[in-house]
Amino acid sequence: MDLETALFRPVQLDRRKEILREALLRRRAELRKSWKHFISRDGLESLGSLATEVESFLSGQGSIHDWRLAATFTWINCDASFLDCLRAIALVGKVEYRPSDTNPARLSPLDINKLSGDERLKTLCARYRCPLNIGAASESDVAEELLRQLMVPDRAKLEAGEEFDVDIVLLKLNLVGIRAMITRDLRSLDALNYFYELPHRSLARMRASPRYVALWLCIYAQLLSTPDW
Amino acid sequence: MRVAVLAGSIKGGMRIAKEIENLPGIDVFVVACNVGMRSPLLRWSRELLLALKSFNWWTLTTKGCRYAQQGRLIILHRPLDDPASIERLRSLQCDVGLHAANVIYRDPTISAFRFGILNAHIGILPKYRGRCVAEWSVLQGDPTGVTVFFIDSGIDTGARTVLREFIPSNGWNCVRPFKNMLFGSDARLYRKALEALMQPGVRFEVNDILKGKRHYVMSRMFIHAVDEILRDRATLG
Repeated sequence: MDLETALFRPVQLDRRKEILREALLRRRAELRKSWKHFISRDGLESLGSLATEVESFLSGQGSIHDWRLAATFTWINCDASFLDCLRAIALVGKVEYRPSDTNPARLSPLDINKLSGDERLKTLCARYRCPLNIGAASESDVAEELLRQLMVPDRAKLEAGEEFDVDIVLLKLNLVGIRAMITRDLRSLDALNYFYELPHRSLARMRASPRYVALWLCIYAQLLSTPDW
Repeated sequence: MRVAVLAGSIKGGMRIAKEIENLPGIDVFVVACNVGMRSPLLRWSRELLLALKSFNWWTLTTKGCRYAQQGRLIILHRPLDDPASIERLRSLQCDVGLHAANVIYRDPTISAFRFGILNAHIGILPKYRGRCVAEWSVLQGDPTGVTVFFIDSGIDTGARTVLREFIPSNGWNCVRPFKNMLFGSDARLYRKALEALMQPGVRFEVNDILKGKRHYVMSRMFIHAVDEILRDRATLG
């Protein structure tokens, strides 16, 4: 590499990352104001004690946590329930986890697709009781399938104004967001960008699940504030 | 070598046929597919409009008539994967198909061609499969270009790569025209790929899908960032 190339390339690289970082921070600033369009006042009230935390997290500066540490384990176990773990991750709380000696049996994308909507939700919530496990190397096939489902059939349904399973779509957005936090996969982050940008009329049905919406937006806020993509 | 251009319109098919018809040893057919199963009225109105929008519409019309007279213009009325369409394709006994229609190919259609169907994908395989790959390459600081490969029924997963041409995005300050330029290079690259295929002992590079990822349609936010990266680079010169 000649001197000119050696000097120019890092500058170009820095600018690209800088432009991306600025774009993410602009979106974070926008989210501070826009998140209330995604959750109705009634929906927020229904969250009980979670409402205050969500409101202050999304409207304020929010904090971030480097969840990549969790990915150094093959598999981790938590005592808390799936929703409690998800809440802790989304709001940068403390997640009590311990490494496991054994992985669960492999789940293939085919297995997921054979399940009905309800079974799929139950299976994913049970397997990812500690949702950080979606970032494990062994889960890349499942994570890719969830990303594909979001960005192909689910996106098409939402854009066409067709019926869709609100809970499963929101669960996938949460899991794909956590995967992005752990693996720094820009495609997974962009799935959240894409769904955030959908017209509000497409997302109106999501208001039926305020808890999942709130946690999705908190995870999204963390991703937007993450400095090193 | 017998080659069929699988096109979404007669005009689109003729554009590619024009580039390759003078290659020695090549017999070209144009297969106009009814993408989206339009009604005959809508389909022919569209064909007429596309021809009239062309600067050289008269050349296009005469060429189309010549192909039709020689039995080298095939108009499919049914979907491409319909048994009747596949039978018609088989009857052409073509070696290679060239993808120029906005369709997903199923195995029976692909196997109607002796070697398969070539696709000029506007990204560098194996790393960038799927959609918006030019944008994703710029965003991640990777080289841009076109890969010509034999498709299978998956999304850019066909194992045989014929050629790969790196086409830098330098000098472009917006991704959309850059992508249009990449799309427009298909005829030239199909020509190069056919020339390569006619060489004795042609060897293919393996498109190892484990070395890449499928990409999806990009958000507006990231597309703006890509445009900004291009503008920034163009300004820096």
